[in-house]
Amino acid sequence: MKTLRLFFLELGRLLHGRLTWLVLLLTAVSPAAGLVLYKPADAATMLSMYLANPALAGGAAGGILFALLTVFELDRARRSRTEVLTDAVVSPHAMALVRLLAMLTAAGLATVLTMLVWFPVSRWLIGAVFTGTDYVLAYLLFLGLALPLAILTAGAAYQFTRRTDLSLVLFAAFAGLSLTVWADDWQLCWLNPCVWAMSDDFTNFRLFRTAAYVRLTWLGILAGVWAVSYLCIRRYGKGPLGSLARSVRRVWRPVIALALLACSGTAYAAQPFFDNSNPDLSAMHLYELDYAEGVTFLDRTVQVYPDTRAGTLEGRAVYRFQNTSGEAWTVYFGVDPGYDLTASVDGAAVPAVRTGYEESNMALWEIALPADQEIELTLEYGGFPRDWNLSSTMQGDPEISEIYLCLENQRLFPYLLNVLPGEEGYPTTVEITLPGAMLAIPFGTSQAEVVAEHADGTRTWRYASNSTGGILYAGDYVRQDIEAGGITIEFYYGRKHQAVMEAAGAADAVRAVVDYCTEHYGALSFGTGDTLKLIQSRVAGGGYAVDGASLLNEDNFTTVNLDDRSKGAVPGETFIHELVHQWWGLGNMFDVGDETSPWSSEGLTVYTTYRIVKELYGSDYAQKYYVDQWQRDVDDYYLNFYVRHPEYLEKLPETERLNIAGSLSGVRHYSEMPLKLLKAEQLVGGEAAMDQILHNLFNREIDPMYPYLTYQEFLDACHLTEEELDLG
Amino acid sequence: MGKIFRYECKRLLWNKFFAGLLLVLLFYGWQVLTGATILGVSHTAPFSPWSFGDYLSRMVPLLWIGSLFFLTFFTSGKARRAAVLTDAAPMESRRYALVRCAAALAGTALLALAVLTEAAVFYGWYFGWHSWGELVLPALLALVPPLVFALGSGWLLGRLRPWLVYVWMLIPLALLALPLPDALSVWNGRFFTEFPLALGTLDPDFVLPASVLTVQVLLLAAGLLLLWRRPGLARTQRRNLAGK
Repeated sequence: MKTLRLFFLELGRLLHGRLTWLVLLLTAVSPAAGLVLYKPADAATMLSMYLANPALAGGAAGGILFALLTVFELDRARRSRTEVLTDAVVSPHAMALVRLLAMLTAAGLATVLTMLVWFPVSRWLIGAVFTGTDYVLAYLLFLGLALPLAILTAGAAYQFTRRTDLSLVLFAAFAGLSLTVWADDWQLCWLNPCVWAMSDDFTNFRLFRTAAYVRLTWLGILAGVWAVSYLCIRRYGKGPLGSLARSVRRVWRPVIALALLACSGTAYAAQPFFDNSNPDLSAMHLYELDYAEGVTFLDRTVQVYPDTRAGTLEGRAVYRFQNTSGEAWTVYFGVDPGYDLTASVDGAAVPAVRTGYEESNMALWEIALPADQEIELTLEYGGFPRDWNLSSTMQGDPEISEIYLCLENQRLFPYLLNVLPGEEGYPTTVEITLPGAMLAIPFGTSQAEVVAEHADGTRTWRYASNSTGGILYAGDYVRQDIEAGGITIEFYYGRKHQAVMEAAGAADAVRAVVDYCTEHYGALSFGTGDTLKLIQSRVAGGGYAVDGASLLNEDNFTTVNLDDRSKGAVPGETFIHELVHQWWGLGNMFDVGDETSPWSSEGLTVYTTYRIVKELYGSDYAQKYYVDQWQRDVDDYYLNFYVRHPEYLEKLPETERLNIAGSLSGVRHYSEMPLKLLKAEQLVGGEAAMDQILHNLFNREIDPMYPYLTYQEFLDACHLTEEELDLG
Repeated sequence: MGKIFRYECKRLLWNKFFAGLLLVLLFYGWQVLTGATILGVSHTAPFSPWSFGDYLSRMVPLLWIGSLFFLTFFTSGKARRAAVLTDAAPMESRRYALVRCAAALAGTALLALAVLTEAAVFYGWYFGWHSWGELVLPALLALVPPLVFALGSGWLLGRLRPWLVYVWMLIPLALLALPLPDALSVWNGRFFTEFPLALGTLDPDFVLPASVLTVQVLLLAAGLLLLWRRPGLARTQRRNLAGK
């Protein structure tokens, strides 16, 4: 009761201070910095620009302000030399706790005040895609929790050092690291969570979960550090160690401190969001496993049950194999690293062993199987999916909610690594049970249909496919059919985005791109009819395409893009790129076996995107945003110190070496090759001549034994040599 | 003089603030070296004068704050109360102030030396590189003018109002956010990342445009002037106050 009374007294005193109100006021206006100065979320969605950035800026600035206030308040008694008196009246330990609670309450007040001030502003700025859930969660996580973290840090620094100067230096260095060197490490940036984009049209729960996890981990760590500093509060004129020795006599104090540190340390180390995939991006260990001798794949049946509230997934997959070797064998699966797996053969459990190796966002599992001629292997799997560690600065995937989910390959069902297909390939039947409002869209030529409706409002969808893996999108989608280039394009986009898509004339943009490619290179054809799916994904750093489906990134069509008239009729260039992949990469395949060659489907796709952009937006725009950008990237690549002096790269520790090598890869495919193609275009006599060459290549007779378009074929068609395309 | 200088140095350096500051600087510096400097700037080696200058620019805000905190030893309310006794000592107050400034300068130099040594260890350990002579000029350019100016201006401000020193600590952070003209670009580190690209050659030698050199020399001169002039002014102020 005494502590409670002291708390109210201290809070009252704190709230009577002008400095406190100045800090509250500055915190309340600090989100404005996110609109002009500090913009870590660089995606073009409305929520990134007008919600994430202000909240993050407010969190960083408010955190610094509250840290200064904390040090100022903790030093008050010492500064005014009343410490001896106050210590005689109230235990320094009780007072430290009371001051902390008062500061945290003031921080809570600042958060509420800031949220009230910015609610109407955000609503007005964000417009139709504003939701209260996103607003509250963003401000609480990005801003609200930054303040207690800063208070605990500054408070601990002061209680350890008992010096204002050293406390401020410690805080400045710790905050400085978070804002600079650690800003790209999603777990280390304690003050400014790693947020690069928020989705306007779909949900952001995975992002919020990640930010909350980091915040709570740091809250535990810093509370633990504060608790240790609490033990060092000076008593009886002793120093920090003497005071510590006295304080630990009450056992619960060090126990709480150690428990907090141990729990938060464990939470830090055992984070469930990102995997431990091999940092060497060129590693292909999983794809180089020897195929099981005499074993072929017969078929596979999968049942998937996403839990859209928890963001988890459970599944059951039944694989049937034929074994003609007469010997026991081992099957290998690549499974989402967040999933657990149990296996049974004909109803009897068999051990499924997680090897510990992870690569390309897959954990390698092995299961020893008997020598039976026909085997039915049942896998029960599930858990909270983990994203590839490569994407740790681009959080948000894999989102599983009532509005949106995307299950890619090993996340949908265990990915078979070492069994060859039978005569019928990889026949697969997938069933997924989803909330009633969700539409299941297999990413490819398959079509899903509802096979059961359940009493709880969920529906079970079923589709058949024939490939080693599979990607499934589901969500609250609108479908619009577009006729272009002699095919029907099934255009799926989020219901919330309907007004923007209509205002943007998205259907016309899609038609323009498809017509361009059809006219210049030839018509597409797919195995199961002349339809192509174009699916809007949640905001992502890039996209992909498979036979019969391409991705359209959410930020391709936003209100901001609509307002940017310099982008002409087709604002989104990622979706152009992914549509063009239907011609280059899928319509014509590329052999990418030679890692030293820049030749891949990306080169021709980027070049064609440039040509379309040139036609749609004009040559100045294409020169500025494509050719000049390629040239800059290529110059940067070849001028990079480690590219010029690989001997120094070899001297670095492996982690640094792989990080640097990984950051440099991609330039040759996405920038160097398009530049070479542009040079080829000039050498063969211009755009029309190049279009004719590409048209001929696209429509050439394909050798089914080696269906790839090679660099040499391209050079021969152009009557050029590799040396002539050197960029010099 | 020598005895007082040693005493003031001991006051400044033999305490947990200096030890703590040193540890914080070394930790921060290692994070910068292994997280940013290791990549090199503007296509140059991590051990080029440009990358080294970039590293030092990232360290200057903390060094600036540290050096100003040294001054708070002399400008705080506590120090002012003690001034009644020290002023009574048979020594010219201007010389006494200069000795104190020299002690603060020595403390700052030691911190800077620690930062430089850390870089040397990093370059030797990671790259087996030891040609330190090439890095003297960027070190002088990036560290000496701002730190001398920090002490000079901080000394002046501390004498006017002790709390102004704390406000002055935020200056390097504000400079980082401001779009400074090219002549002032050393102040936010942009010079080391952008100027080598403008030179148009690969691995350019370290050169200084006249405007940047002039600004840095002026900054250094201003810092020295403030260090030299202020004690006298303060004494005059005290005389005036005493007269009233």
